[in-house]
Amino acid sequence: MIPEQFFILATLLFSIGLVGVVSRRNLFIVYLSIELMLSSVNLLLVTFSRLDQSMNGTVMALLLIAIIAAEAAIFLAVIIQLYRSKRSLDSDKFSQLTQNKGQL
Amino acid sequence: MLENSIFAILSLFLVLGSLGMISFKHTIFSAFSFLLAMLALAGLFALLENSFLFLAQIMVSVGAVVVLGLMVVISLGSIEKNIPDEPYKFYWIGISTILVIPLALLIYKALTSLHAHFQETKEGYGELKYVGEKLFAEWVLPFEAVSVLLLSAMVGAIVIARKEEYFKKENYFDDHKQPEDTK
Repeated sequence: MIPEQFFILATLLFSIGLVGVVSRRNLFIVYLSIELMLSSVNLLLVTFSRLDQSMNGTVMALLLIAIIAAEAAIFLAVIIQLYRSKRSLDSDKFSQLTQNKGQL
Repeated sequence: MLENSIFAILSLFLVLGSLGMISFKHTIFSAFSFLLAMLALAGLFALLENSFLFLAQIMVSVGAVVVLGLMVVISLGSIEKNIPDEPYKFYWIGISTILVIPLALLIYKALTSLHAHFQETKEGYGELKYVGEKLFAEWVLPFEAVSVLLLSAMVGAIVIARKEEYFKKENYFDDHKQPEDTK
């Protein structure tokens, strides 16, 4: 087991999450992709903790898990609120703040 | 050798789960793929000899976050007409993959420039007792800050997700109307 394996895996997870955020229009998949990116950072923190042989990285990863939980609660509430306003999960329909009134 | 084969199996599940998550059309399949990926990630934490984080990951990420997400999917996203129609999904995924590859290579190059190696773990590494000692000795302030963050996230989630009409003053009085006096 070498650290490079874990580095490749964390990079791959972050890239997959970024691709999901950029390319999908379903709001829920955007949310899951953000979760995946946060989890890849978590994997990296645990790997560094194992390399450093100290508990600091573990504690930081634990705090990051708490932040992921807080982010999940807020994001799901926002999804419910957005669904209620337009009856849709399509992120292209939520473009009130752009200048061209929803036309791409 | 055993560690390497366990790593191969877990990383296979992790990558397949996350690829399935971004490519399924139906949201509920995506949520279950994400569940698979999070379980594999918990296994990787165990492989890195962090037994406490293995438990925390299963309890929080799998037990709380994904289940909460599944509840929202079942109430909103499982109806066919709510799912956005994405005919060019794989085309966009391909284009954004090409755009993301340079960033991924940059991250990987930055990480491998450490030239780090795994050593044998010290006695008691990753155990709950030592995590707790560290958390309540050196990391008390971040810990308290996270507790305030979780509280404010809870209040914020309730405020965002509630029905606004019900809390307006006139509607409140409509629902709790006193019986009118007969004139």
